[in-house]
Amino acid sequence: MTNFRDHAIKYGLLVLLATMIVFFSIAQPAFLSMINVFIILQSVSIVAILALGVTATLAVNGFDLSIGSTAAFSMMMASYVMIVFDGGTTAAILTALGVGVLVGLVNGFMTVQMRVPDLLATLGMMFLLLGLQLIPTQGRSIAAGMSLSGGETAPGKFTEAFLFLGRARLFDIIPVPVVIMLVLAVITYLFLERTRHGRVMYAIGSNERAAHLAGARVKFYRYVAYVMSGVYASIGGILLAARIGRGDVSSGNSLLMDGVAAALIGFAVLGAARPNAQGSAIGALLVGVLLNGLTMMNTPYYTQDFIKGLVLVAALMFTFGLSKKRG
Amino acid sequence: MMKSTLKKLGLAVASIALMATTGAQAEEVKSPFEGKGMKIAHVRYLSQGDFPELYLSGVRAQAEALGLELDVYDARQDAAIQRSQLEQAIMKGYDGIILQHGFTDSLKDLADMAVQNGIKVVAFDVNADNPEIPQINQDDHLIARMSLEQAIKDNGNAWKAAYVYVPGIPPLDRRDEVFTELKEKFPGIEEVARFGTLNNPIPNQIADQAAAVFRANPDITVAFSPYDEFAKGIKIAVDEAGLSSSVKIYSADISNSDIQAMREPGSAWVATTATNPAIMGQVSVRALAYLMNGENPGSQVTVPPVLITQEMLNALDIKNMNDLVAKVASFSTSDTLTPDWMPLP
Amino acid sequence: MGIQSDSIEISGIKKSFGTNTVLHDISLTVSGGEVLALMGANGAGKSTLVKILSGVYQADGGSISVNGQTSIIDTPQQARESGIVTVHQIINDGVVQDLTIAENLILDQLCDGRFPAFVNKGKLHERAAEVAKTIGLDLPLDTKVAELSQADKQLVAIARALSVKPRLLILDEPTSSLSEREALRLFDAVEQMRDQGVAIIYISHRMSDIRRLADRIAALREGRIVGLFEKPLDYDGAVHSMLGHAVGEVMHDYQSGEASRVVFRQVQLAEGSKPFDLDLKTGQIVALTGLLSSGCASVVESLFGMHEFASGTVMLDGAEWRAASPNQAIKDGVYMVQEDRGNNAIIPDFSIENNTSLPFLKSFSWLSFINRDREKARVKEVIDLTKVKYTDPTAEMSTLSGGNQQKVMVARWMLEECRVLLLNEPFQGVDISSRRQIGKLLRETAKDRVTIAVCTDVEEALEIADRIIVFNHNNLVGDHRIDQIDMPTLIKQIAAAPDADFTALSSSKTQETDIHA
Repeated sequence: MTNFRDHAIKYGLLVLLATMIVFFSIAQPAFLSMINVFIILQSVSIVAILALGVTATLAVNGFDLSIGSTAAFSMMMASYVMIVFDGGTTAAILTALGVGVLVGLVNGFMTVQMRVPDLLATLGMMFLLLGLQLIPTQGRSIAAGMSLSGGETAPGKFTEAFLFLGRARLFDIIPVPVVIMLVLAVITYLFLERTRHGRVMYAIGSNERAAHLAGARVKFYRYVAYVMSGVYASIGGILLAARIGRGDVSSGNSLLMDGVAAALIGFAVLGAARPNAQGSAIGALLVGVLLNGLTMMNTPYYTQDFIKGLVLVAALMFTFGLSKKRG
Repeated sequence: MMKSTLKKLGLAVASIALMATTGAQAEEVKSPFEGKGMKIAHVRYLSQGDFPELYLSGVRAQAEALGLELDVYDARQDAAIQRSQLEQAIMKGYDGIILQHGFTDSLKDLADMAVQNGIKVVAFDVNADNPEIPQINQDDHLIARMSLEQAIKDNGNAWKAAYVYVPGIPPLDRRDEVFTELKEKFPGIEEVARFGTLNNPIPNQIADQAAAVFRANPDITVAFSPYDEFAKGIKIAVDEAGLSSSVKIYSADISNSDIQAMREPGSAWVATTATNPAIMGQVSVRALAYLMNGENPGSQVTVPPVLITQEMLNALDIKNMNDLVAKVASFSTSDTLTPDWMPLP
Repeated sequence: MGIQSDSIEISGIKKSFGTNTVLHDISLTVSGGEVLALMGANGAGKSTLVKILSGVYQADGGSISVNGQTSIIDTPQQARESGIVTVHQIINDGVVQDLTIAENLILDQLCDGRFPAFVNKGKLHERAAEVAKTIGLDLPLDTKVAELSQADKQLVAIARALSVKPRLLILDEPTSSLSEREALRLFDAVEQMRDQGVAIIYISHRMSDIRRLADRIAALREGRIVGLFEKPLDYDGAVHSMLGHAVGEVMHDYQSGEASRVVFRQVQLAEGSKPFDLDLKTGQIVALTGLLSSGCASVVESLFGMHEFASGTVMLDGAEWRAASPNQAIKDGVYMVQEDRGNNAIIPDFSIENNTSLPFLKSFSWLSFINRDREKARVKEVIDLTKVKYTDPTAEMSTLSGGNQQKVMVARWMLEECRVLLLNEPFQGVDISSRRQIGKLLRETAKDRVTIAVCTDVEEALEIADRIIVFNHNNLVGDHRIDQIDMPTLIKQIAAAPDADFTALSSSKTQETDIHA
C-alpha cells in the first residue's frame, strides 16, 4: 500500500501526461502528427521559459509575480527599439535583456535590502511594469508604420533576423523558440542540480539561516535568483515579440498564471516536492498538451481554464498532501 | 415630421415583406457543398462583447445554410494565441478558414502558408496582405459619410464641432479621412475641439474630457464621434452639463446599450451609422464559399452600412438589436455576394 | 482583592516521551504569597513541567491539588479554571500587537462573551483600568501594544494573565528579553502580586532575578528536584546542584597547548562590560561556561562573524583579524557548530550527504559543477570518522537520531583543514553515548587547531576541556586549568552577582592569563 502511494507520488503526473496523449491521439488522429507535436512545444515554449525563471526564485524560497509583466515590458521595449528608433536586432535584444536584469536587481533590492516580502515586492513590480510598458506609446500597441504622437510615421520595422527567433523552424520542423526553451531547460537543470551554486540556492530555500551559518552568501544568491527570473522573462518577451511581430499591449496577460502553474505542477513531477527545472518544463508541457488536445476537440475556452485549474489543484495535492509523512 | 415618420414606416414594412420573399426563395437553393462533409474554421481574435457574438451568429447561420461544418477558435484578444490556433487549424486540414481581426504582422506568414497548402482563407477587418485572401470590411468611409451627411441635413453646412479621434486605429483613420474632406468642402464647418483616449473605461474618460471641452466652448452644436464608446462618453458629459437641447451627437456603430442611450427622452445622440455584425459574418462565409466554389469574390468585399436615427428608433419602437434586426430590413439582410447558387440563412 | 492563602501541591509528576523519561518524580509545594524560583539547565525538564502545569501536556502520573483538592488539568482551559496562569517566555504570544492596551487587558472577557457585541469604549476602559491597577500598570490605555517596549508588553501580558485572578502564576524566563531597567519594573509588579497573596513559580537562569525575588529555590536536574533551598538562601549551593557536581570526574589528561593562535586584546562583549585579554593555543580545548546571557555565546558568535565585539581586537596567527560574515570566517578557516541545530544548521530538504558537504562544496567542484563521486567519498570519510550511524547517506536528516544528527553537523567541519573550531552548546539534545563519542573525537582531533566550546552545563565542560573560562554578565570572571580545578570557586564565579569582586575569587595560581578586571 505504501509502495503504491510512493509510486503514485512519483509517477502520477507522468502517467496523467501519457494518458492524455493516448486519449487525444485516439480521439483526434492528427494530434500525434509530427507537426502538431512541435505546435504543442511551440505553444508552451514561452510559458516554459517563464516557469524556469520562476523556479529559480522558488528555489531560494522567493516568488516572482512580476514575470508576466516583465515579459510584456521586454516585448514592448524590444519593439520600441526596433520600430521607433529603427535600432536593429541586436540593440532590441540587448535592451530587452537589460530590462530583465534591471527588473531582477530591483526585485532583489526590494526583498533583500528593503525586506519587503517577496510576494508583495514582486506584486508591486508587476503593477509598476504594467503601467510603465504603456507610457512610451501612450497605451498603444507598437507595429511597423505606426504613427507617432508627433504625427510622423515610425521609421523601423521588425527585422528578418528578429522574427527568425519567433517563427523560423530548424530543418523546416523544429521551431526556434522550442530550441531556445530546451537549451534553457538543460542549462537551468544543470545549474540547479549539478552546480554548487544551485545546491546552495536550494539550501537557502530550505533553511535560510542554516545556509547563512554554513557560509552561503544569502543576499547574493537571492539577487541571482531574481536576476535569473527577470532575464528568463525577458527572453520570453523577446520570443513573444518575434512571434506576433508587434509590441501588443494585450499579449502576455496569461503568461504569469500559466508560468507559475507550470512551476507549481513541476513540484509533483517524479515526487520532487520542491521547485525543479525538469518539473517546470514538464509542467508547462502538460498544460500545453492539455490545451492543444482540448482545442482540437473544440472544447470552449472556459472549460479549458477550468480543466487547467483542476490539474494544478491535483498536482498541488500530490505534492503537499501525499508526500508529507504524517505523524 | 409626422409625414416623414409615416413614410419611413411604410418603407420598413415593405422591406420586411421583401425579406420574407427572399427568405422563401432561399429554401429552394441547394448548396454546392451539401453532403461533401466540408469543414471550415473560424479563428477569432475578439471573443468578448456584443460584436463578436453577433458576428459569430451570422457565421453560424450562413455556414449551416451552406452545409459546412464549423469549428470556432477563441484567441481571447491575444495575438500569440491566435497565431497558435491558426497554426493548429492549418495542420488539422480545414477546407476553409475565416480570420476575424488580429494583426497583419502576426498572421501574414501563416496565412500565406495556409494558402500554399490549398486552404481557402478570408479575413474580416484584418489585412492578410495576400492577393488570394479577400478582405471583408465594413465600409468605414461610407459610415462616416452617412453620419456626417445626416448632421448637415439636420444642422445646415455651418456649425462648430467637437471631434473625438485617436490616431493609429485603422477604422478611425479611415473615418477621419472623410471628416477632413468634408471640412474642406464646407468651410463653415469648424472643428473647435479635438480630443480622445482609449484608456478604460473609455466612456468615463471621454466624459471627463468632453465636460472640459463643452465648458470652454459653449457654442458647440455638433459632436462627431466616429466610435460608439466615444459617443457614450459625450452623452454623459452633455447630460451632466444640461446641454442636451443645444448639442447633437453623431456617431458610428450600434449596440443594445447605444439604442437605449439614443432613446432616452431628450437624448442628444440623434444618429449613428452601422453595419450589422451578423451580416458581416454571413458575408464572410459567403466570400469563403465563393473561393471554395472556384469563384472570385474580389479582393475587397465591403458591406454597406445603414443610417439609424433617433427618430426611426422611436417611431418603430426599437428597444434592442433584436428589434432592430426584425424591424429594419436593410439592417438585417444584405444582397452582397448573393448569386443564384448561394443558399441564404 | 483580599489576601488569599492558597496552597498548591504538585506531587509525583512523571512524564516520558517514548523511552526518554523527562520528569521522574516531581513534587513541590507553593503557597500563596511566596515566590518559588525554579532553576535548571537546558534540558533539565523545566519547560515540560510548565507545560504540564498549564495543561498543554498531560502527565503520565502524579497529581496537582489546590488547597487539598485534586485538580484535573488536561487542557489549558482547565488549568485556568483551577487558577493556574502561565506567562510564557515569548511575550508576543501573550499579547495581540494590533490592539490597544485596554483591549488586550480585557481580551478574555471580550472573547468569552461577557461583553455585548458592540463595545462601549468608556465601559471597556473602566474595566481595563481595574485590571491595570492590580499590578500598578500605569500606561495610557489607548496605546497600541505594538508601540510598547518589551517590558511594558511583558507587563501587559502579566496584567492580562492576572485579570482572571490566579491562585498560581507561572513566569517562564520573564526577563530574558528585558533590559535591566525594564526588569526592575517587572520585579516591582511580581512583588506586588506576591503581596496580594498569589503563589508564584519564577523560572530563571539569572541569579540577579533570583537574588531579588526568590523566597525559596528548587533546583531541577535531569528530571528530578535535586535541591530545595529555604531562607536563608544558599545561592551557590543552588547553582551547584542545578549544574551537577562532577569534581574529580575528569577522564583525560591536561594538554597545555602549542602555538598561540587566537589572541583577544582588550575585548569588550557589551557596552560597559570589562575588557579582557585572552590567549588561546592550538591543541587545547577551551570551554566557555556561564549562565544564560553570561556572554559565552557572544564570544564564539562574534568570532564567527555573526556579530561584532563592542570593542577591542582579535589576532589570528599574529595578524589582526575580524570576520565580517560567517562566509568570511569559513574562508579563513574558522568554523562553527551551531546551537539549536534544527534552526541554525540542518537543511531539512537535504540528504545526510548534502547536509555534510554544504560548506565546502567548492572543494568538490570544477567550474562550479559538483563531482558527485568525490563528494560521496569525502562525506563517507568524515561521517565514518564521527561515527554517524546511518543506513543510507542519501536519506533525509530526519531519519537520524538527535545524537547522530549532531555528529553530522560536526563531521561537516572536518572536511577541510580547520584553524579554529567553535562549538555552541554542542551537546544540546544529544544522548549520552553520542556525547561521549563527539567529546572523544574532539579531543583526538584537537591537535592543530584552537577549539572553543560553549557549555552551560559544567559537567559537559569538564568532560571535554583542558581549560574552562567563566563568563558572568559579559565579564570574564574565571580561568581554570582542568587538572587544578577548584569547583567551589568555579561555581561561585558562575553564580555571583554581577558587581561581586572577582579578584579575590579567582584561583590565581592556575591562571594562564591575567584577568583585566
